[in-house]
Amino acid sequence: MIPDQGKFWFTLDNAAKIFPAIITKEVTSVFRLTAVLNQPVRIVPLQKAVLLAEKRFPYYQVRLREGFFWYYLEHFPQHFFIDPDDSVVCRKFSRDGLLIRFLVRDKHLSAEFSHILTDGAGALEFFKTVLIIYAGACGVEIPAKYQFSKSPDGISEEEYEDAYDRYFKAEIPPMVRRSRSYHLPFPLNSVPRYNRLNAILSMKQIKNIAQEKGVSITVYLVSIYFYILQDVSENVNGKVRLNRKKKLRVQVPVNLRNVFPSKTMRNFTLFVMPEIDLRLGHYTFDEILKSVYHQIKLEMDEKLIHKNIARNVGSEKKLYIRGIPLFLKSMILRVKYYSLGTSQYSGVLTNLGNINLPDGTDRLVDYFIMTPPPPNKMLKINCGVAGFGDNLVVSFGNITQRSDFEKKFLQFLSDMNIRIERETNN
Amino acid sequence: MMICPNCGVEVEENSNFCSLCGEPILNRTAGNEVFIRSGKARRDERLLTDYQKLTGTQKRKIFWKISGLILISGIIISLLIDFIVNRAFTWSKYPATISLVLFIHFTLNVFLHKKFLLMLVLSFLSVAGLFVLFDRYGGRQTGWDLKLGIPVLIAAYLTILCLVFLVSKAKQKGLNIIAYSLIATGLLSVFTEGMLSIYNRGTIYLEWSLIVMVSVVFISMLLLYIHYRLKKATDLKRFFHI
Repeated sequence: MIPDQGKFWFTLDNAAKIFPAIITKEVTSVFRLTAVLNQPVRIVPLQKAVLLAEKRFPYYQVRLREGFFWYYLEHFPQHFFIDPDDSVVCRKFSRDGLLIRFLVRDKHLSAEFSHILTDGAGALEFFKTVLIIYAGACGVEIPAKYQFSKSPDGISEEEYEDAYDRYFKAEIPPMVRRSRSYHLPFPLNSVPRYNRLNAILSMKQIKNIAQEKGVSITVYLVSIYFYILQDVSENVNGKVRLNRKKKLRVQVPVNLRNVFPSKTMRNFTLFVMPEIDLRLGHYTFDEILKSVYHQIKLEMDEKLIHKNIARNVGSEKKLYIRGIPLFLKSMILRVKYYSLGTSQYSGVLTNLGNINLPDGTDRLVDYFIMTPPPPNKMLKINCGVAGFGDNLVVSFGNITQRSDFEKKFLQFLSDMNIRIERETNN
Repeated sequence: MMICPNCGVEVEENSNFCSLCGEPILNRTAGNEVFIRSGKARRDERLLTDYQKLTGTQKRKIFWKISGLILISGIIISLLIDFIVNRAFTWSKYPATISLVLFIHFTLNVFLHKKFLLMLVLSFLSVAGLFVLFDRYGGRQTGWDLKLGIPVLIAAYLTILCLVFLVSKAKQKGLNIIAYSLIATGLLSVFTEGMLSIYNRGTIYLEWSLIVMVSVVFISMLLLYIHYRLKKATDLKRFFHI
């Protein structure tokens, strides 16, 4: 099990277990981090940087294999690919291949990660390492603290452990099933469905506006998300109007590394899911803001998080679940994912937070983009946010023919006098 | 500073090819603009095998030629053997007719690939025509072709037409497709038994087909319930993957 001893393997972490069961050609569970540089990407230093980073993160050089009862990750000593970025965004990883790829076009340096491997925060650490080595190879002075050490001795076991397991407490309270939530009624695109829209906002302006209301940027953006969902649900016509009598919920991933002192580089995320009940009448934006703020505060309670980890991990510990053959398990997981998962929330907003780079490296980068994994047919639209310097990039993933949601979202922001630049690319 | 004209990254000084996309490093001029822009297409092309480069029509034509050779040689061989052994065409009429029907359908599928309705009509006419021929020249002239064969054929084609229409209209394809197919099978069996009993006894008398119909309806209702009530966006391939 130790990454410096040649062939090693490990089980999927608790959050990753769902993904192999739900991955299709369209719902790929692949997300992308992009650093938009000031200069065109220099390809030779990048190749050097990726080669070096591989040595620091041997546990990312793995591929997915099927066992009889579970999937597992197996060491796969191949170099990460660096490809021209001219194909479909967040496309599926081939079977029996690595789960990370690098894509380059002009000033855009991107890396795509399968969610089986890690979450946004883990991927960002890896990506930042590549950027720092790249900056060093381009002749930037790297502070001593960030100097890259080649030997894998420095890799602690904690980095590739399943951190859910470490913070799991055995007593399991019963599972609370939420009611179905509202889903956007837009018709789907033809295949390949995934489109994205990036909007670059001024960090300073949005921070000021959020601070005026006494909330964080995440809470502010989630509230806009709710407000626009409400707006869409109030303005639809025909039979989909029936949907109105439902709750709106937005799933907000929380990086558990901020709650528990874990160093894991694999998935370690949970969700908070604030909700607004449409049956109670029209909410004003300030009402939504207040409610979302308190709901998120409430759900971030450490004991509640323990409870949720216990709920998720507890079920995979049971012997009679572990003994189900993989193909049956995948079927069950897939049904559960849609009935207990996606059907319960109307949208996802994932905020990578404010990204910091060491002095020198930060001057190479203009802004970061966090492209969320393609939403499934129920969810239809999701949203990824990343901040760097004075740029906050909101990236919408969309598989429908309509872009009303994004337009309204950005219109709301520009009504608040926030500077917005849009860029679309597929 | 040298920039690859194709993917826009900076490459080492004096390199002849981009180390990312493998395209030659050229200075953009009016003459090579088209060449540079077609870089992606050329790279994709290189990854394909000869067979993958064929269009759908070309692939279908290859299939048509191969199947045609096999079927026609089969027809000739069975006719010859039959004639040599029996000095007349007896049993060989059956495989020969079936092969001919198959060949006609392959031909229709290759050349009328996009025109589904026309294909269906021609396919019906050809099968019906063969029925008539078979009855006239099959030895015993019983008249079953007009009284039994063609009505059942019409029913089968209409069922297929309805089924295709329903499937193309269905927004989510999954268990509902199985349910529709089952109901179509049930209806067809009711009609077939009805026609058989009219042909044999002169009245409509249904036995087995009613049992088929009832069980098929029950199973279809269950499938439709699962599909629409639970409303999982499941496609069959994924659902049944092992």
